Amino acid sequence: MSENNQREAVFPTRMALTNTKNRLKGAQTGHSLLAKKRDALMIRFRAILKKVEEAKLKMGKVMQVAAFSLAEVNYVAGDISYQVQESAKRPQLTVKAKQENVSGVTLPGFEIEREQSNEFSLTGLGRGGQKIQKCKETYAKAIETLVELASLQTAFMILDDVIRVTNRRVNAIEHVVLPKLENTIKYINSELDEMDREEFFRLKKIQSKKKKGGDSEQDTIDQGEYTQDQAGGADILDQGKDEDVIF
Amino acid sequence: MSVLGSEMLFFNVQNGYLEGIIRGYKAGLLTQSNYSNLQQCDNLEDLRMQLSATDYGNFLSNETLPLSTSTISQKSSQTLVDEFNYVKSNASEPLSTFLDYMTYSYMIDNVILLITGTLHERDTHELLDRCHPLGKFDAMSALCVATNVEELYQSVLVETPLAPYFRSCLSASDLDDLNIEIIRNSVYKAYLEDFYDFSQSLGDPTASIMAKLLSFEADRRSINITLNSFNTELTKEMRNSLYPQFGRLYPAGTYALARAEDFDQVRAACEFIPEYYHMFDGFSSNNTDSDHNNSLEDRFFAHDVLLNKETFLQQFNYAPFYSYFKLKEQEVRNIVWLSECIAQSAPQERRAVPTIF
Repeated sequence: MSENNQREAVFPTRMALTNTKNRLKGAQTGHSLLAKKRDALMIRFRAILKKVEEAKLKMGKVMQVAAFSLAEVNYVAGDISYQVQESAKRPQLTVKAKQENVSGVTLPGFEIEREQSNEFSLTGLGRGGQKIQKCKETYAKAIETLVELASLQTAFMILDDVIRVTNRRVNAIEHVVLPKLENTIKYINSELDEMDREEFFRLKKIQSKKKKGGDSEQDTIDQGEYTQDQAGGADILDQGKDEDVIF
Repeated sequence: MSVLGSEMLFFNVQNGYLEGIIRGYKAGLLTQSNYSNLQQCDNLEDLRMQLSATDYGNFLSNETLPLSTSTISQKSSQTLVDEFNYVKSNASEPLSTFLDYMTYSYMIDNVILLITGTLHERDTHELLDRCHPLGKFDAMSALCVATNVEELYQSVLVETPLAPYFRSCLSASDLDDLNIEIIRNSVYKAYLEDFYDFSQSLGDPTASIMAKLLSFEADRRSINITLNSFNTELTKEMRNSLYPQFGRLYPAGTYALARAEDFDQVRAACEFIPEYYHMFDGFSSNNTDSDHNNSLEDRFFAHDVLLNKETFLQQFNYAPFYSYFKLKEQEVRNIVWLSECIAQSAPQERRAVPTIF
């Protein structure tokens, strides 16, 4: 019954059989290709997972160092946030997006670009200038780590999605499409066999019928001849004695 | 004004009460044992508890948990401001002018802040909130009304006590062209020189003690400006114009500093003053910051604390007022530093501060 559900609605013809067989072949190739893709993605995914973990741990440390160096600056130079905000004119760090192709999946990657010019290099001229520069360096490093983590994380999410989709496709082909096609082929084959058998039987039957039909005709003819021969000119009325009719 | 020593006769008539107050305040500064307790705190609540046993009392008691370092910083500088305002409101001439001079350094920062903010068209209230409370003056909000540089310059000249400093070193067009840091430092230089002249006019012993303190401040600025201007667009002539024209390094030292191109030349410029020269011990030219607890800045702070402590050895002069507030400022910085260390759970050995007593 489920087998019946799992086959396609085709007429069991030879044409349909060839078509279905072709499709089965296609599905098998597709399945193996998708499985390969999934494996490739998984390898990449694992590598990224490892890197993400490392980057996250590193980020924790780097951010801590950066926050601490800001505390140092506050100790030496007081609150400089406003001066820095006001004197910042051009971005020193820019993030550029690039794309990478991993077995048919485009992964966005972010790259950091650092402007060489040094803005607000005079901040803290009177006191704490060196600490401020150092703090700036530490934060630049922290941002580098963050950007790295961000591109890894994006790649991670996208790969995760793609792997899930691929998995679903692989499974669908494996558990739905292939059995369905196989069933269809089986069904068509069985139907064709059945038809063959029917045909054969019918032929047989006809043959036997034909044989039987020929025999009886001969018989009747033979019989007729025989009776005529026997009767000769016999009177029809003398065919037999009728039973007396008694009312 | 008078023969040496006669100032002792009359000093207490005007300033005896306030000097008593200041020395009382000074006794309330955190001691070495307080600091070692603070260094061992595990969290900011511990810090608050330790501080509540000192003169800070329960200055944090009304704060909601969890405490943040910025609240601690704000509240502890508030205690400094309160003490200062109390002393200032009780002061008479010439102490009140002396205290006014002390506020000018904060005022310079505030005015610079307002100038930057106004040039970038920032919200006035936000700017006023950020100003240091000690440097507040009545006409401060008037500065924010200015719409262009010319007006701003005029209102700085008219409204602030800093007018002479601005007039002497800047013109209106400079506000637009020069880097704001250069403006700040040239104004500050003019201020230091003026403060120096004023303290010299007060006669001994104030003059001699203040000369020592301000000289160090001036020298520190000169050295710092030199060190911090390496690899920047600041020219040597410009740099030279930012050095205060007094202090132990002036003129021979600053002359050498103005020509210095790297760390070693700075060190050489300071060679003839042993105190400064020893501060450079252990630093190489490309590593001015090797030891976290012992950078050049930290040594300057420590020396500053030492000088300010010595001030209290003499009586009947105005220098203790200056020194006390400098020490208190350092203490506030120390507390904020410690609370930052605690908040970020930095290791114990990073938590060293120049202790005062």
